[in-house]
Amino acid sequence: MSVKIAIVRWRALVPLVLLLAVLVGGWMLLADRLGRLALERGGTALLGAKVEVRSFHFSLGQGDVTVRGLVAASPFDSLKNLVEADELAADLDLLPLLEKKVAIDRLAANGLRFGTARTTSGFVPSSGTSASAQIMANVKSWAAQPALQVPILQLATGKLSVDSLDPRKLQTVQAAESLAARADSSRRAWTAALDSLNAKATADSAVAFAQRLRGAKPTDLALLRDARRMVDRVKQTRDRLTALDRGLKAGAGTLDQGLASLQAARRRDYDFARSLVRLPPIDATAIAWVLFGPEAVQKFQRALYYTQLGRAYMPPGLLPHPHDGPERSRRAGTTVEFPRASRPPGFLLRDAELSFLLSADSSGPRRYSGRLQGLTSAPALYGRPTTFAVRAPTVSADGMFDHVHAISRDALGGTVRGVMLPAIALPGLPLRVVPGRGDVSLGFALYGDSLRGRWTVRAPAATWQRDSNVAGGMAADLLWRVVSGIENLDLTADLGGTLSHPELHVRSNLDQAVSDRLRSMIGAEVDAAESRLRVEVDRFADEKIVPLKTQVAGLVAEANGRVQQGRQALDAAQQQIEQQLRRLTGGIRLP
Amino acid sequence: MLILKLLQSLAKALHSEGTPGQVALGLALGSILGLTPLLSLHNLLVAALILLLNVSVPGATLGWALAIPLGFALDPMFDALGRQLLLGTPALTPLWTALANLPVVPLSNFNNTVVLGSVVSALLLFAPIFYGSRWAVRRYRETYGERVRGSALYRAVTASRLYGIYRLFRPGT
Repeated sequence: MSVKIAIVRWRALVPLVLLLAVLVGGWMLLADRLGRLALERGGTALLGAKVEVRSFHFSLGQGDVTVRGLVAASPFDSLKNLVEADELAADLDLLPLLEKKVAIDRLAANGLRFGTARTTSGFVPSSGTSASAQIMANVKSWAAQPALQVPILQLATGKLSVDSLDPRKLQTVQAAESLAARADSSRRAWTAALDSLNAKATADSAVAFAQRLRGAKPTDLALLRDARRMVDRVKQTRDRLTALDRGLKAGAGTLDQGLASLQAARRRDYDFARSLVRLPPIDATAIAWVLFGPEAVQKFQRALYYTQLGRAYMPPGLLPHPHDGPERSRRAGTTVEFPRASRPPGFLLRDAELSFLLSADSSGPRRYSGRLQGLTSAPALYGRPTTFAVRAPTVSADGMFDHVHAISRDALGGTVRGVMLPAIALPGLPLRVVPGRGDVSLGFALYGDSLRGRWTVRAPAATWQRDSNVAGGMAADLLWRVVSGIENLDLTADLGGTLSHPELHVRSNLDQAVSDRLRSMIGAEVDAAESRLRVEVDRFADEKIVPLKTQVAGLVAEANGRVQQGRQALDAAQQQIEQQLRRLTGGIRLP
Repeated sequence: MLILKLLQSLAKALHSEGTPGQVALGLALGSILGLTPLLSLHNLLVAALILLLNVSVPGATLGWALAIPLGFALDPMFDALGRQLLLGTPALTPLWTALANLPVVPLSNFNNTVVLGSVVSALLLFAPIFYGSRWAVRRYRETYGERVRGSALYRAVTASRLYGIYRLFRPGT
């Protein structure tokens, strides 16, 4: 017997309806809490820093959302907020919610404040794969490019670098050693020549011959002929000695020239020693770069981060756009948006009125107003760029994020006049400038990947502060002496080039003053270092030159002495022979 | 406690008055709950089906409990499959675009790689789980069922108060 089984369990309808009712009731009860959590989680993921909300209220009947106490932390400074808002009131279109889309017709943001302090860190652990984490990593690597790196240590130490002097590299030493070798060679050559000439032996044999002539007779013609020959031999020897003397003098002259050339080599060694003194950069245009470059890079880095965030979450075109999935215990995955022409975008804020506070002067913060239009996740669907504008007597700011077309164009800029400007710390030094009340402006544009940016600070009553707990070294002392007397600060940083090849130029009114002072300070140090090196060069050179001079002088004197002695011996011998010949021949010259 | 609940589910499912087909359908539907992220719109539909259709709720509970760790373990595969379907198959883009701009459908989070990948996988596994578990339940009841029912362990497990709650939702005939 087969049993018929019912397909539907009708008695479960009641629990099912009850379950649905519980779900709906729970949603109504928890909608505000869920909305707050969604806003905090979504905002945190989008910004890359903590977003907190004090209260969130969603009125389904009227389509109103009210957010109170919104705090968005800065992704760059853990103890600062990017923005705080007292209240955000939004009018929602309800129908797009069925498509999981958020369309806000009008939003009123009241009590916006920027850069406020916070007591807890606003950083969030980086997941590494989120868009904001990747953009942060990209922006940091952009700022770490060599073109944007400031040579902090070169100016921070401000010290001369003096390489050690290697005597083997000195030309004077090399030339002196070569000359000593030549002197030795000359000595050997001259000694050999004088020895081979042997003038003394010739003179001695001539004297001996003259003794033989004393006992000779005038008829001894053979002896007389030999006497004539001996005289000729003596003369020849003297002529050769004279020639040798000329060669010796020439050689001695060459050695003297060699000694003289050592002075020229010494001058070249002085130049070489001077090249061992390495100067820190004292180019005037480099001063502002060194002092304010990091701050300028930081400003542009932040602007680039927010611009890139905009590009990531407001992509051009209608292609599927992937982004991180929602946080949950299971893997988040990737959620892909599929924009469709003529359909509303996933997120659209048509018009927002902004009311914010800025500390303008001692009378307290002033309230300003601005407008934000066309903020959307699919600019191509909205068809117009996102714009914002703030106009007030002392504040003006504009921004445009045009992602409607394939090549995105982002530009933002703002000027604030007569406000208290934040202090700027000088990199690697225990010094900082407190600009006080002044004007500041920042402009940044990113067209495709072309960069344009300018950051200016004008502060007529700047003051300088030094951290007395940190020594800082010579550079800090030097800079403190220079800048502590300068009251106005006029700073301009220009950014250009492309994302991959940025160019940054920074200039300020401090450049020339610091440069001049550095030159004078470093000039004295250079002189002292060069003097020390000259003494070292002299010491190494004199170790070789002084004995060489003695060696050459001794050599020449010895050679001259031997020549002189030979000549005198030969003259005396010739005189004796000729005297005997005259006695024998009676002064008659025989054939 | 978790293991006890699992044992209770197992005991209730295998020894309920439901047919092997009811138990198997409950297991297959419950596995969808476990394989896919729970807080998704499609799971509301699955839960409604489990309650409304005359399937074994303990079977569904068991399927759900067994599939949860499997779902966590297979998430990378679901992610890859969903990515391939959503981003790696241009031919499907018009379909996703149309679905994403329909009312209510986007609330299902189908455009999330893990959700889509896990739902597709769960649907593909539905038939094998159903037929496989129906065969297994039938074999169990024919071979070991009676012996287990008479064991002390079974009596201890079914003596729990939870068993009483189960009886409210036991499959009817």
